[in-house]
Amino acid sequence: MLSRPFTLAALALLALSGVAHAEPWSYSDGSGKTVTLDAPPQRIIASQDAAAGLIPLGIRPVGIYADSAIADAKALQGLDLSGIEIIGQSWGEVDIEKAAALAPDLIIAEFWPLETTWSGGNDVVTALSPIAPITGPKQGDSILTLIEDYEALAKALGSDLDQPHIAADKTKFEASLAAFKAAVAAKPNLTAMAVWPGKDALYVAAVPGASELMDFRSWGLDLVDPPVDDGRGYWEVLSWENVDKYQPDLILVDNRSEASMATALAQPTWTLLKAAEAGQVADWPAFWVRNYAAYAGALDNLTTAIDKADQDLTP
Amino acid sequence: MQASADETRASRAAGLGLGLVLLGLALLAIVFLSMATGARPIPLEAVWSALAAFDPTATEHRIIWDLRLPRTLVGVIVGAALGLSGAVLQGATRNPLADPSILGINAGASLFVVLGISVFGISQLSQYVWLAFIGAGTAMLGVYAVASLGREGATPIKLALAGAAMTAIMLAVINAILLTSPRTLDEVRFWQVGSLAGRSMDIALQVSPFIAVGAVLALMSARLLDGLSMGDDVARALGQRIGFSRALAGLAAVILAGAAVAAAGPIAFVGLTVPHVARAITGPGYRWILPYSMLMAPILLLGADIIGRVIAPPGEVQVGIVTAFLGAPFFIALVRRRKLAAL
Repeated sequence: MLSRPFTLAALALLALSGVAHAEPWSYSDGSGKTVTLDAPPQRIIASQDAAAGLIPLGIRPVGIYADSAIADAKALQGLDLSGIEIIGQSWGEVDIEKAAALAPDLIIAEFWPLETTWSGGNDVVTALSPIAPITGPKQGDSILTLIEDYEALAKALGSDLDQPHIAADKTKFEASLAAFKAAVAAKPNLTAMAVWPGKDALYVAAVPGASELMDFRSWGLDLVDPPVDDGRGYWEVLSWENVDKYQPDLILVDNRSEASMATALAQPTWTLLKAAEAGQVADWPAFWVRNYAAYAGALDNLTTAIDKADQDLTP
Repeated sequence: MQASADETRASRAAGLGLGLVLLGLALLAIVFLSMATGARPIPLEAVWSALAAFDPTATEHRIIWDLRLPRTLVGVIVGAALGLSGAVLQGATRNPLADPSILGINAGASLFVVLGISVFGISQLSQYVWLAFIGAGTAMLGVYAVASLGREGATPIKLALAGAAMTAIMLAVINAILLTSPRTLDEVRFWQVGSLAGRSMDIALQVSPFIAVGAVLALMSARLLDGLSMGDDVARALGQRIGFSRALAGLAAVILAGAAVAAAGPIAFVGLTVPHVARAITGPGYRWILPYSMLMAPILLLGADIIGRVIAPPGEVQVGIVTAFLGAPFFIALVRRRKLAAL
């Protein structure tokens, strides 16, 4: 015979576990679909961008697939990746056996509305979707919105966003943002241009193609917005002969690779840009910012550059 | 009889000499065209005044001097090197299909450059040049060694086959490295297609001494090549040291092709095509084939580069792609002509 208290306890436990099992987890993602699981996911594989969004919010994936060698993945720099298996280090490639061995409950990536696919592209989606459902927020026209989407997702995954280090990151970002807005407001004539210097040409970024540029513009920065060929393109391609088509006061150089700046400096016509000649050049955190700490750092650098820049360098 | 034969020979030489002068003028014209053509429309007067009186504050002058002049110079010297090395290789191997890319020289140079970048992390063109030379020389020796196996020695057909086989092996290694090392791919991608764009004056200055030495060696070897072209036995009977002749010509070809690959990346078909056109004009003497090739190849290369600059606005097509497009049909026509196959 079982004693009564023990039976009661066992019953209570059963009931509790029954409740836990009976409470499904669901999330409406950036592609417009809702993912439903029997229980909140514990084991997550994340794309590099999703990992950069979630790790600072207290969600640690078991595996990450990156678009490049992990050392070159700008989004992940400064994050603690110890104990996380890296299952991909090249665009469009993922180690399917490692992914399966991790037995993930969920795969979190970013939805790309223009390409209607997830981070890593269709090959990765085809490889990973039989293992676990793919979900995540949508890339849109604001990094800030994307970070807020990650906050909501992290909360749904069980993270406590009131933890001191998470709150501190946000407070720091808000201060950096205020300083950035003040610096921009103090230089009403300042114009800026975001570029990627290639060996064959200078690529001028279209503002709607880059969420952080949309943010900068909404915060008051006057950015060159070139025409692009097909309305979907990210760049206007300027031959190095035509590099002076626009003359901004400040040039923002894509800092995903350190070689970009060296490439620019090696071009004899780089200094046809008056801002380049005057050294009014700063880093553009191109496409990779996914958390408050990184955004605050990038904004601080830009604020310094804007404070130093002569806003009347070009008419 | 004797007098009239001499007269014919003299008038023929005069004709060919005049042809060289005309080719020189054509080269000058295409050099000027190359200076005047680009993504930015610059009026001809501005091109003249930039060349005559350079004004460093004028944007158009800077574009002419900093971008178009180095690119044009690199095109001229690389073209000359490719044309000469192709002609010398065809003569030395008695193979109408000989060409730096077919004999594995380009692939060898590429392989060493790729290895240098991936293993030693070098990124300066000044270091590419040496690697390209070593790679070109190693590949040439390797191809010759493989072709020499067996009783009949390095026959033209065996050389072409060995070159194709070695090229395949080396391209496989190059691809293996590039697939596993995205960083190397990034570094090499631009160079590997074969392009004159973005080549600075430093590059022209760095490779020009090598190309000058190679050109002198190649032009000096004209008489030896004429001997070799009659077959090893006849050449030996004429008192020629065959091994020495081949070694000298091979050295010239490796220096020229190595320098060309280092400066512009592997550019196919120029070295193959031009000597045949030259031979069709001059007849079989290398005394004329070599200088004709040296002048005609830069005309073809710069012409292809100019086409590439304007054919796909607002972008550009790399010259390596244009020469491949122009050269491939020629290559097919060449293979179909038996006369050329019996060089």
